[in-house]
Amino acid sequence: MDLLLPALLGALKLSAKLILIIVPLVTLFEVLRHLPVFRRAGNVVEPMMRGVGLTRDAAVPLFTGIFLGIAYGAGIIIRVAQQKGLPARELFLMGLFLATCHSVIEDVLIFVVIGGNGPAILGVRLGLAVVLTGLMARVWKQV
Amino acid sequence: MSDPGAGAAAEEPIPDIPTRIRTGLAAGFWTSIKIIKVSVPLYVAVTLLKDTPVLDLLGKVFAPVMGIFGLPGEAAFAFVAAFLLNLYAAIAVMVPLHLTPFQVTQCGLMMGIAHNLVVEGGVLSTTGARGGVLTLCRLVIACAAGLLLRGLWGLWEIAAAWAMSLPGLS
Repeated sequence: MDLLLPALLGALKLSAKLILIIVPLVTLFEVLRHLPVFRRAGNVVEPMMRGVGLTRDAAVPLFTGIFLGIAYGAGIIIRVAQQKGLPARELFLMGLFLATCHSVIEDVLIFVVIGGNGPAILGVRLGLAVVLTGLMARVWKQV
Repeated sequence: MSDPGAGAAAEEPIPDIPTRIRTGLAAGFWTSIKIIKVSVPLYVAVTLLKDTPVLDLLGKVFAPVMGIFGLPGEAAFAFVAAFLLNLYAAIAVMVPLHLTPFQVTQCGLMMGIAHNLVVEGGVLSTTGARGGVLTLCRLVIACAAGLLLRGLWGLWEIAAAWAMSLPGLS
């Protein structure tokens, strides 16, 4: 029993830490994601997206996935992909990018809380996503 | 649909700020329940098992594989938790193991890419994508990222040690 109590206490402390990050973060996302700035951001990121074989049609689902994650952003990702009629090539490239680099803010923060190096995690994920997607965009040539 | 960039997003009605805050808090509440449900039992279980030979013994089995990425054998349990459940579960397993900053970073990187494979693989399959292929891709990319970080971290340490040895800096 004298082992169980500290274990339980540690578990609750960890849960509290994670909750204190997640709740404000999710709330902030929900408030910010409708701002007009983010809707117009497509113009700014278009040149960057072209580098990895994506068009601005993929901007909304791509950035939803990068910031919110695949599960939380699934509704937006699927709806926009269908509305825009994204071609198979672009769906694949977007999927590859998001597989490597999704839900980055939340994922990185919860590991920073327990002692991880945030910039290292973010840097490698973003770098690898850009390199892999850019590479595949050149392998799978546009028709 | 005059502006092709804003068209898709604009079709979603924009809720007012109080509604958005409520939606966010509600989502946060359900995530909190999920965190407590998986983290507490796993954290307690690992903490109690740590003092028995069980964790040590099973850790030795996985040590060769985990060693490739600079991780101890026990980290394999955190990967099982990440693959089958989610990152909160993995973190609950990792904290009682007392990993080094590099090891936490490595786990965060690899697990961030490959986690919750059962549920997310299922979701991806329903959208028409090949769930199995994508899951395999995530595992391969996670391993590649792990090797990359191990190499980069090593280089960084060498560079840092070299910089410290420069005259006038130490």
